[in-house]
Amino acid sequence: MNVTVKNLNEFTVVSIEGRIDTTNANEFEKMVMEVIDGGCSKIILNCAGLNYISSSGLRIFLIVLKKMTALKGQFRLSNIQPGIREIFDISGFSSIFSIFPDIEDASKD
Amino acid sequence: MNKEPDDKVLRVVNQIGELSRVEVFLEELAEEWSLPTPFVFSINLVLEEALTNIILYGFDNDSQHTIDVCFTKTGNELSISIFDDGHEYDPTLKTDPDITLPLDERPIGGLGIFLVKKIMDKVEYQRKENRNILILTKNIGS
Repeated sequence: MNVTVKNLNEFTVVSIEGRIDTTNANEFEKMVMEVIDGGCSKIILNCAGLNYISSSGLRIFLIVLKKMTALKGQFRLSNIQPGIREIFDISGFSSIFSIFPDIEDASKD
Repeated sequence: MNKEPDDKVLRVVNQIGELSRVEVFLEELAEEWSLPTPFVFSINLVLEEALTNIILYGFDNDSQHTIDVCFTKTGNELSISIFDDGHEYDPTLKTDPDITLPLDERPIGGLGIFLVKKIMDKVEYQRKENRNILILTKNIGS
């Protein structure tokens, strides 16, 4: 898993490449929490390069969404691949997350 | 026409790091049995969930245990049997989470076995000779 962070307008775009599974979910959580603790209140998680997620990864997505909501911030997802989208649908995550087709759409208010 | 079933066995120990071996094993199996990529994604996920549960919660001591994962392909159906010698646990009895709850009522976690049940066509449990056997079956599709 690789994570890169860039700024776009008032949003911080966090791009994930690779897998989020039981072996690296904690590492992923730490990286995203660092971004939040750094003061970013509008985050787009670009999932274009995310090709695998298990319940350990979903768990972190939910922790982050709850935290951002509590902080009155924004946490948006973009470019979710079909296989991952299916897991989101099964888990009921598609109805609680703000999901956008691409980064451009996600960065509009 | 019914062909003879193909069999493969993967033996892992009760350590989370073994999950990366599952991934490599599945890549090789996918090539050998010409399994479609979305199907392999599903199987990888299901195995990670089932094995994580066994490795983290299945054993009452810290000693090493082996877990056997047997793959059988019969025609267009893949069946996976997971054998472990942990304490008796039937994951099929686990209550499904309520996935319609709003965000503030959503509990963190508890989705693993639910995903297994939703993704596979059939999930069966047996207890034989002090071993748990979880049998997961899914049509390979096109």
